[in-house]
Parts: sequence; C-alpha cells; structure tokens
Amino acid sequence: MSFLRKVLQRLGFMIITLVAMSLLIFFLVEIMPGDVAQMVLGQSVTPEALKALRESMGLNDPFYLRYLRWFAGLLRGDLGESLYMRGVAINLILWRKVFHSVILALTAVLFYVPLSIFFGVLAGVRSGKLTDSVISFFGLATMALPEFVSGVLLITLFSVVLKALPITSVIPIGETIWGNLDILVLPAFSVTIVMFGYVSRMQRSSMIQVMSSDYIRAAELKGLPRAYVIFRHALKNALLPTITIIGMNMGWLFGGLIVVETLFGYPGLGSLTMTAIKTRDVPLIEACVLFITFIFVISTFITDLLYGLLNPRIRFAGAEK
Amino acid sequence: MKKLLVVLTAVLLLSGTMSLGAGGQAPEEEKIILREASQVPGLIFPPVWDGQTLSLNASIYDFLVELEHGTGALVPSLAKEWSTPDGKVWTLKLREGVKFHDGSDFTSEDVRYTLELTQDPDVGHLKKADFEVVERIETPDDYTVVLYLAEVSPTFIYQLTDYHMCMLSSEYDYASKGEMEPMGTGPFVLKQMVPKESALLVKNEDYWNPGLPKVDELRIYFVPDIDASVSMLEAGKVDVCPFINAIHKRNLEDKGFKIVSPYQDYRFIAMAADRDPFDDNRVRLAMKYCMDPEMLAAACQAELGKDVYYNEGPIQSIMAQYYDIPFRGRDIDKAKSLLAEAGYPDGLTVELYYGSDHPYGQELAQTLKELSAPAGFDLDLKGYTRDVYLAQYWMNGPMLLTGWGPRVDPSMLLKLAYRSDGPWNESHMNDPQIDALIDKITMEVDDVQRQRYYDELQIAFHERGTVINFQVPFFVAMRQEVMDYRQPPTFMNQYEYAYLEE
Repeated sequence: MSFLRKVLQRLGFMIITLVAMSLLIFFLVEIMPGDVAQMVLGQSVTPEALKALRESMGLNDPFYLRYLRWFAGLLRGDLGESLYMRGVAINLILWRKVFHSVILALTAVLFYVPLSIFFGVLAGVRSGKLTDSVISFFGLATMALPEFVSGVLLITLFSVVLKALPITSVIPIGETIWGNLDILVLPAFSVTIVMFGYVSRMQRSSMIQVMSSDYIRAAELKGLPRAYVIFRHALKNALLPTITIIGMNMGWLFGGLIVVETLFGYPGLGSLTMTAIKTRDVPLIEACVLFITFIFVISTFITDLLYGLLNPRIRFAGAEK
Repeated sequence: MKKLLVVLTAVLLLSGTMSLGAGGQAPEEEKIILREASQVPGLIFPPVWDGQTLSLNASIYDFLVELEHGTGALVPSLAKEWSTPDGKVWTLKLREGVKFHDGSDFTSEDVRYTLELTQDPDVGHLKKADFEVVERIETPDDYTVVLYLAEVSPTFIYQLTDYHMCMLSSEYDYASKGEMEPMGTGPFVLKQMVPKESALLVKNEDYWNPGLPKVDELRIYFVPDIDASVSMLEAGKVDVCPFINAIHKRNLEDKGFKIVSPYQDYRFIAMAADRDPFDDNRVRLAMKYCMDPEMLAAACQAELGKDVYYNEGPIQSIMAQYYDIPFRGRDIDKAKSLLAEAGYPDGLTVELYYGSDHPYGQELAQTLKELSAPAGFDLDLKGYTRDVYLAQYWMNGPMLLTGWGPRVDPSMLLKLAYRSDGPWNESHMNDPQIDALIDKITMEVDDVQRQRYYDELQIAFHERGTVINFQVPFFVAMRQEVMDYRQPPTFMNQYEYAYLEE
C-alpha cells in the first residue's frame, strides 16, 4: 500500500514538474529578445503588416491569457499551431519527429548499452590489469570528446574515406525511415561514443565493488565457475547504478540530441527544437520541451521503479516505513 | 548471460537490416528529379512571404511579368504584353488558356483580386505602400486589365515582378490553405508538404509554356543549417544548394562543384544624418576616407571587382544606372583632419549596429572597426541576431550595417531608403535636393533624361551621402550535371528551365 502511495506521490510530482516547466518556458521565451512576427515577415515588414500578424497570432494579448489559452488546448490534446508556419498544426509536425527520435534513441541504446556494459564488466573483473587500463583510457577519452567532434570524425572515416555510410541522415522525400536504416548508424555511433565512457566506467566501479563483497567470495570458495559467479551473481547487483545512468539519459536520448541531429541533418525532435528556438516559435518550443521533460521525468520514474524491483532492500525498506 | 546474448544478437540483426536498408531499396522510377536543400520556410503565402525557400513559391506561382536571367530585361509571363501612353494608365493583355492547378482559368478577375489584396488591412500585405498608387482597376474583358495610377510612374511595371506579387486565384481559399496547400499557375504542383522537413513538387502537365518544366519532380529539403545543406550536396543527396558563403564556395569549387552568383546583395553601411556625429558631413567623409575596399573584400574571402564591389552610392556597380566615380582612396591623414575640423581632434566613439548572424555581418563590422581606428574612430560593435537587430535597433542607431536585396528598378530602393519620407530611411537622409532628384527619376518618362538624374544623384551621394555600399554575392552551388539554372534579380528561381545532363 505504501509502495502504491509512493508511486502516486511521484506521479503527482511529475505533473507539477510538467506544469512548472511549461510556465517557465513561456516566461523564458517572453523575456527573450526578438519578435516572432518580425522574424516571420523579415526586413520588408511594414507597421501595418506587423500589426495584422501580431493580431492574428494573438501576440497582443497579455502573457497569462496566452498561457491559459495554450494550456486549455493542451488539456484537450491540441498543441496549437506553429507561429512561424501559420495554419500548420503542431500535432502534424511534432509526432513525426518524435517517432524519428524514438527510432534513433532505441538504435543508440542497442548500440551503446551492451557495448558499455560488456566492457565495463571486463574492466571491472580485470581491475588493475592492462585490459582495465585500455578500457578506462578509452572511456575517459570518449567522455571528453564532444559529439560534434566524434560525429565529424565518424563522417570523415566512414563516409568520406571508406564511403561505407551516408554522410547525412536525411530521409529522401517520398520514402520512410524503414527503407533508409543506414542513416541511423553514424548518429547512433556518435551517441555511443559519448555514452560509452559514462556507462562503462559506472559499470566498472560497480563491478569492482560487488566482486569484492563477501557473498561473491563465498560463491567462489564454493568452487563455482568464475563466469557463472560474474554473470549469475555479480552482474545483477552491479547493474543497478548502470541502470540509473541509462535511465537518467533517456530524456536526453529522446529529445536532446540537438547537436547530433543537426550535424547529420536527421529529422528528429532535437533539430526541431533548435529550429523552434531559432524562430521564437513559442507553441512549438513548448511542445518540444514539454515532451522532452515528460520523457525525462517518466524515465527517471521508471528507473526508480526498476531499481526497486531489482533491489528488494529498497522496496522493502520503503514498505516498512 | 542469456539476456546479454539476446541483446547482442539483436544488435547484429539490426546491423544486418541496416545493410539491407542501404542496399535493398527499390530503384527510383525513370523520372528526372531535381533536388534542392533550402532554408526552413516561415509563412509562404505570397503577400506576407519573407522570401525564404525561394524555390517553393517560385515554382508554384507565376507573375504577370518576369525578368530575364542574365540580362534583367522585362519579359512576358502571364501578361503577354503591356503598354502605357503616359506612365499613368497601364493596360495589360493576359495570356489566354492559362489554368490554375485546381483546373480553374486564370483571368483578369484574378489579377484584380491579387492587386486589391495589397490594400486589405487584414492581410498586412508587404507591398501595400507600393500599390497605394493604384487608384482604380478595370477589367473590360477576361484577358485585359487596365490600371489607373494616382501619379505618373514610368517604371511601375517592375513592381509586378516583386516576389510578393505572385498571381493568386480569386476563387481559392488562401486564408485556410495558403500555407499548407499553396496553389497557383506555376510550372510545378505541390504534391506533398512535410512541415519543417520537405516539399515534393511534380511537373504541371498543363503548364502554359510548352516544353516546360524540363524535370518531372522538384524535391525541396528544408534544412535548418547551411553546413548540413552543403554536406547533403557533397553526399549527392541534393543537386542544388543556395545561400552558401565564400568559404563554402572555395571548398566546393575544389571538389568540382559548379558555383553561380545570379545576383548581388547590398550591405549598406548607413550613417544617420540626423544625429551626432554623422549629422556633420565632414565626419561622414572622414569615415569614407578610412575605407579600403580590398580589405573589406578580403574579410569576405572574396575578390574585389569580381565577387564583391564597393561604391558610395545607392546603385549597384553592375546596374545600367550606375555612374562610375573613381574610389577616393584611403587617406587617414585626410580623415583625421576632417574629424579635427568637425570638433573631434581626439577621436570619437560610435556605436555600429548589425546582424551578427547575417552573412558577412560579423566580418564586415570587425573590418570597419579596424579600418577606421587609425583615424580616431572607436567603433563600438553591437552585433545582434538579425531578428533582434531588425526589431529593436534597425532605423535607430547612429551607424548601421544592413543587408538589402537588389531592386530591379533602383528607383524602388531610392523611394524606400533615401527619400526623406521613405519608410525604411535607415540613415535618416533629409536632403531636399536628393528628394527632388528621386522624384524626377520616378516620374521621368525619357530614359536618357532619367539617367542624367541618376548621375546627378550619385555625385551628390559621393559628396554628402549617408551610405557606403558594399556589394556581396549571392552564391548557389550545384552539381556539374545541373544545367540552365536561372535566377534573375527578383530572387525567384526559374527551375522550369533547369535540367540534368546525363
């Protein structure tokens, strides 16, 4: 019962976070210099044209009124219309990009999670040896490498020199992503390079800690095979901090790949967010950032749940309280 | 362990699927397809269009008259001929048999609708001021339009080439469909629009100009970043990439791409004539004596006299109306002495406002600062993103660096930017002799006499003008196979002529 209460409490906090975030975005865009009407009409704008456009966009209304109007629409599932592309529903723009971002995020997860865990475990069980040093060095190096650098390196190697993969990740007009899965490889690798260091190092230190615990020593003394001890007994517990790191980064993966998506021209949520910010398209910024926030809070929530499921001590400790 | 193996297998399977995805696509039909990487468009309804993604509207819509690529001469389009006895009454004969993409006929009523839209207060038409001169529109038959102007305007016809003046259908609901389903009489029909991503246009089989367009499809990718657009060109994902800068140009030329510069843009360095310190012509002259066109060209990584041009008037050096006045030369001593005469013997600080993200903005501003410093100018650089610059600082600063597109008829620009009552008189010029000359240029029917006024005007600008004009090229990169790329100074691509050589 207490566990359920905790879950409901967390859900309540999630909603408050989302509402607070939506208000904050509205406020931040409000105080940002620049004017969407001016941006839309450009240099040749006349005061009459500016007035007519501002009127039609509802930009002359007070801040709170515009927010409430937007919020009421949100409750009805209507995200409104883009200011920069008048008459174009945000629902029409957003979900296609979200879908593309989900595909990219899942591909990246498939790339980096097994790779990082595997090398993290390897470094952990061979702690202090050459294998550990090489993996740790590589992990540190990739952590220090920004994704636009690793992206350019990957493009140079795989696209320019080897000509094995496409240089950009644009979906050809009239085609879908399913016929062009090769465009996912380089962006996903770029993300893998960024994430490898974090996840493998976390896995390594967690593995070292678990491997030095009494129950592992007992299992080894019982004469169990080493691989069995590592994968059957140690890994399950050593995965807990790693899962937290992976879960915490899901929001970034689903909507925060602005640099990667822009670099490769990938039509996802990250590049859409950047375009929306550049054009002061408030409803679109709201929709993008809110969705990213939602993914952040929901992934953190799921991570916490998973943590509880994987670690009975936490679950029972919560229940006892 | 088993789970780990399952995940690893999934990765391998995915990799396999990807290689299938790469190589297993169905071959494209035998269609000739032209692909372009362009900007992400904002509003595209022509009356309020900012001119972004030029190729989109240029392909969907037509104009009454157009400019010829290369020569800039007026050529018929939807109006097959036009005449005026006095510059005040204009008669246009329309082409017959032209159809809109929805199958309806193009008639004089559509012309009336399009022109009357300019004065509709709900639309906020960007050409409202230019068409206020039209007093009355008569349509004696389906293919004749007579325009009665309030005053003589011998070059009025050029207004109809402006990119906001696409011919619209009087029966189409542009209010609700203008942004997502634009419809005109142009050489291509919009088949699919993916907002913020792409547009697919197909050949208009009923196009009035036989044999055009030459390609079956036009595919436009909306790419938010110019570097990503260039990558797409290099990767063979697109055939044409406009809006490249001089650095891209050099790199792409080295890689064998074709670069064209269909027209030049202005970068006006405006000195406000109504406030300290540029209200004193000696300070304006001092600034002009600091200039070094070669240095400015180098800052833009371009060649003077080939890619970029310098003069001290409002007319582009490559235009027929240009009056060639030799460069006064960089003379720092002269500049210092002029500043001392004007009461600034110890130099002065001036704020220079500009759009820092606008092509060449940052480079030119920095170079202006360095060039003028030896004479005693301390330019305080105030760079803002272009929208902020235009919304908050343009028209208000003592010194401005602004990008202007070319006008096919220079008198259009003079009235806007240099007449004392011009709506975009950014340098606050208020010179009765200049006003009078602009009026004479606008009203003069005789070409030779009009040119004399142009000459006189440019001499006056050289002596006491408020502007330094640096012209920069508009570059378009394309694959060598793209032939007959046309883009006259109206900015509007004419992709109906383009084709791909095998």
